[in-house]
Amino acid sequence: MSFLEFLNFHLVPGIVLGSVYAVGAIGITLVFGILRFAHFAHGDMATLGAFIALALVTAGLTPWAALPVAMAAVAVVAIVVDKLFYDYLKARPKIMTVMASLGVALMLRAVVQVVFGVDPRTYATGIVRPDDYFGILLRDRELYTLAAVVLIVIGLTLFLRHSRWGKAMRAMSDNPELARLSGVDNRKVTMLTWAIVGALCAASGFMLGINNELHSMMGWQVLLPMFAAAILGGVGRVEGAVLGGLIVGIAEEMSIFILPAQYKAATAFVLLLLILLVRPRGLLNGKVL
Amino acid sequence: MKKRTVAAVVGAVLGAAVVATPAHAQDVKLGLMAAISGPIAALAPPMAAASRLAVTHVNEQGGILKGGKLEAVLGDSACNPQNATDVATKAVNIDRVIAVVGPACSGAVLASANSVTIPAGVLMITPSGTSPEITKLKDKDLVYRTLPSDDYQGRALARTLKARGISKVAVAYLNNDYGKGLAESFKAEFEANGGTLAGYSGHEEGKASYRSELATLARGGADTLVIFDYGDGTGLSILRQSLENNFFKTFVGADGMKSEGLVKAIGAANLGGFFVSAPVGEASASLDNFNKAFKAAGENIDAVFATTSYDAAFLAALAIEKAGGDKAKLAESLRAVASAPGEPILAGEWAKAKKLIAEGKDIDYKGAGGDHEFDAAGDVPGNYAFFKVSGTGYESIADMK
Repeated sequence: MSFLEFLNFHLVPGIVLGSVYAVGAIGITLVFGILRFAHFAHGDMATLGAFIALALVTAGLTPWAALPVAMAAVAVVAIVVDKLFYDYLKARPKIMTVMASLGVALMLRAVVQVVFGVDPRTYATGIVRPDDYFGILLRDRELYTLAAVVLIVIGLTLFLRHSRWGKAMRAMSDNPELARLSGVDNRKVTMLTWAIVGALCAASGFMLGINNELHSMMGWQVLLPMFAAAILGGVGRVEGAVLGGLIVGIAEEMSIFILPAQYKAATAFVLLLLILLVRPRGLLNGKVL
Repeated sequence: MKKRTVAAVVGAVLGAAVVATPAHAQDVKLGLMAAISGPIAALAPPMAAASRLAVTHVNEQGGILKGGKLEAVLGDSACNPQNATDVATKAVNIDRVIAVVGPACSGAVLASANSVTIPAGVLMITPSGTSPEITKLKDKDLVYRTLPSDDYQGRALARTLKARGISKVAVAYLNNDYGKGLAESFKAEFEANGGTLAGYSGHEEGKASYRSELATLARGGADTLVIFDYGDGTGLSILRQSLENNFFKTFVGADGMKSEGLVKAIGAANLGGFFVSAPVGEASASLDNFNKAFKAAGENIDAVFATTSYDAAFLAALAIEKAGGDKAKLAESLRAVASAPGEPILAGEWAKAKKLIAEGKDIDYKGAGGDHEFDAAGDVPGNYAFFKVSGTGYESIADMK
């Protein structure tokens, strides 16, 4: 195997996949950190986002123009889901919200299946052969995916560090009671968090779809690697989620060198187990819940 | 007091139900465990339509038993062992079916048969579960299929490729009962005929990228990739990623890959090197009957597993009729109505069959998808053809020996 082959067929797919995982993991880590529960409907919310984008593409938009609209739509969906299902359970033990999110996952998937059907779909028919950049094979959609991920991460980091609402989110993540006493409106912060999480879900679903196919199980099937990425990087840490996503994505594509291909799916599990054993707070020292 | 009222109401309702039952005693429910969602979703609608056509034929031509109606209870087995078990449990315990058609996928058949239908003594006829593992089920003679085991298909495909001058291939199979069963039969026959496997690897479903697996397979130096997977699931991703990266030139799949959704997603223009094998009905008067009726119902007669789905439902109905609705006699009756000797019954000839059964005469159902002479394990031999992509669908190019 040449070095270029290694780059093209193992490292590059790993990085692209990892960036998609990263976007999903950021959302998971935000819910984990700020609202303090494991959000199982994350994958199916991503599926919903991908299919909303598909509906827009079918209506005539180009896929990348459909992305922001889909992000906004799923942001609204996420807020509504919170109001309908999670808000109601706020005062109860968190495990109830976790289980409720599992139910929401099934409902969202059912909606996608009823509205869009269960056949695999694509944003565009046909295949795209890659362009050659000095031996490195890349498709436009992969470049755009990487660029979009970088933009999202930079934007979100700046927002959390420097804006008033971003600081409020971080305050609530550190200590909700103290934040409330200092005048942070927890309800508004929760809403804002869901809007951001919903938008991120749509983005990750869209990028998963444009790099492969859309089907109603697509989000559910990447939920585990995304959770692994969030925990690997440290719960509540955006940079951690990005790092975790990249590590899980690249590790999955590299696992072929040491494991038979059918164990690829187990890579995320193994990484999760290892990190919980060796460094339970994650690589970047996240929260302990 | 309150409790007693509730008990009284429940009692009254149950009593009413018991009293009401005899009026419909001759109605029979047949479970259809289609794979409406999941990796073979695109194949499911014509399959369910074909089974329903059989039910319609039964009801239009005199109904079942003494003036009863055959009622199809549709459930979604999702091509998944867990869903299939749930659906089977519901069909057996709540709808009280005595026979089921389906589930569609091999893993689903194995799981639901083992944990639900065999213990309950319910007859199962699958129109598309093809894994060789199903042959090995300890099934108390209750599990049948109207299409041949993949052991035949894998071997026939291996011989066909050899005959077409392809002697070096890589194999990518989905790591489940369907994919693995096919891959093992293919491998044994291909190597026995002097072929070389330049790569042989399983994969899990639902991953977003298969490029690293495919690159590893491609390094073996074969031009042809044999994919044992579903064309509406991972098979599509594998095919797309292989084409986009030029890993292989020719692609060969089995019946699960014969999906029109796949042609739509990738485009026929890119699929010049894609071939699939699939079971086909032998030309027969029975097949003509079926095609005519199925076409009249507005369905596509080339849909894969349509004939076998029809036959499975029709055979189940014949067995119920023959057994007089007695669950314990179903298996024995199924063998009696399906096997020679006896007066031949073709697809759609329910009235004739009903009359002969009433007269106590032996019948032999000759189905649209084959003769259905079950062997000791409940398997049937079959015919396959080799297809290429043509337009938005597939066109048969050769019979497979």
